[in-house]
Amino acid sequence: MNLIRLRYKKWFNISRDGLTQNNPIAIAVLGICSALAVTNRVDNALAMGLAVVFVVTMSSLTVSLIRNFIPSRVRMVTYMVIISSFVIIVQLFLEAFFPLVAAALGAYLGLIITNCIVMGRAEAFAVKNPLKYTFFDGIANGLGYTYVLVIVAVVRELLAFGTILDVRIMPAAWNNWAVMALAPGGFFVLGLLIWAIRELTNNFETVSE
Amino acid sequence: MSDKAKQMLIFILLLGGITSALLVGADLITRERIEANQQAFLQSAILEAYSIPFNAAEVNNIFNAQVETIELTTEDGTVLVFYRDPNTQNVSFQFEGGGVWGPIIGVITLEPDFSTITRITILEQEETPGLGGIIAERGYLNNYVGAKLSASITVSHTSVPNDPNYVDAISGGTRTSERFETILRNTYTLHASVWRAFTEQE
Repeated sequence: MNLIRLRYKKWFNISRDGLTQNNPIAIAVLGICSALAVTNRVDNALAMGLAVVFVVTMSSLTVSLIRNFIPSRVRMVTYMVIISSFVIIVQLFLEAFFPLVAAALGAYLGLIITNCIVMGRAEAFAVKNPLKYTFFDGIANGLGYTYVLVIVAVVRELLAFGTILDVRIMPAAWNNWAVMALAPGGFFVLGLLIWAIRELTNNFETVSE
Repeated sequence: MSDKAKQMLIFILLLGGITSALLVGADLITRERIEANQQAFLQSAILEAYSIPFNAAEVNNIFNAQVETIELTTEDGTVLVFYRDPNTQNVSFQFEGGGVWGPIIGVITLEPDFSTITRITILEQEETPGLGGIIAERGYLNNYVGAKLSASITVSHTSVPNDPNYVDAISGGTRTSERFETILRNTYTLHASVWRAFTEQE
C-alpha cells in the first residue's frame, strides 16, 4: 500500500526520472565522452561517478538557492562559475587525498565542467524548483550516471583484465581482451547496454516519415 | 547606470567573491598534502629509475637515505637540482615546459655520460587524452630509453633507424611531440653545462 502511495510523491517521481525514466546516459545520451574514457576500471568509474554526484548536486542546490536573484542575461555564465568552482574543489580534494585516482582520471576530472548533465540539470530543473526537489534531482541524475558507468566498467575490467576492483575473478588461463581496455571496447559495451535498457523499458525514439 | 545594470553588477561581484572565497579555502586545506604528494611522485619516479625497491609509506626516508641531492647554481643565479644514484652514478633532473594544453612536467634519468637516457617519467600533463596524452604512457616513453639526449635530439615522424638522436613522435599527437622535443632540448641545454662543470671539479 505504501509503495503505491510512493508513486504519487513528487520526490519519488523526480528520483525515478533521473535513475531510470530519463537516465542521463541510457536515455538522454549525455556525458558519453567521460563514460567511455574512464570505464576501463571499476575504481575509476566509481570515483568519476561520485565526483559527478557531488558536482551536480551541489551546483544544482546552489542554483536553486539563488534562483530568484540570478539575472536572466547572465544565467549561463552564473552556472559555469558555480559548476567550475565545485569541479575545482573536487579536483583539489582528490589530488590531496586520492592522488592515484586523480592521476588515473586525468583530464576527465576537469572536464566535468563541460559535462552536459551538470549544466542541463541546472537549466532544466534547478533554476525553476525549490531546494528539496532539486536535491533529489541532483542526487538521482548523479547516481543514474554512476551506476551506468559502474556496469560498463565491471564488464570492461572483467574482460580486459580478468579482475573487478583489482580482485582476480577470471581463471588464470583467461586471455585478456585488450580491445575492452580501449575506447572501442567502451563503445561496444555502452552501445549494447543502452540498447538493452531501451528494449527492456520500451523507450524508443519515434522516427518521422 | 540603470537599476537592472546595478543589480547585475552587484550579483556578479557577490558571486565572484563567494566562489573565490570557497576556492581559496579549499586550496588552503589541500595545498600541503598536494605538495607532499607531488614530492612523493617525484621521489618514486627517481627510485624506480634507479631500481631501488621502496614502498609508498617509506618513500621519503628511502629516497633521503639512498639518493644524493645536488643543488647547483647557474651564472644567472638559477638553482638547478640534480639527483644521483651513488652506486651507478646515474643522474636525474626534473624538466618542465609548455605542452599543447598545459604544462608538461617530468623527470629524466641519464647514464653517467650525461647523455644516454635510461628512463623518463611524466609527473604532470594535460594533453589530449588518447592522442597527446600518450606522452605519459610507459609504452611510449620506453622509446626514449637508449636514445642520446642532446641539444639536437629530434622527436620525429620520419623513421631514422639506428640514429640515437631520433625518437618516434606520437601519431595524432604531433604538436605534443614537437613541444616535448623543445622541452627536452631546452632543459638539456640549461642543465648540461652546469653538470659538466660540476663533474670536472669533482
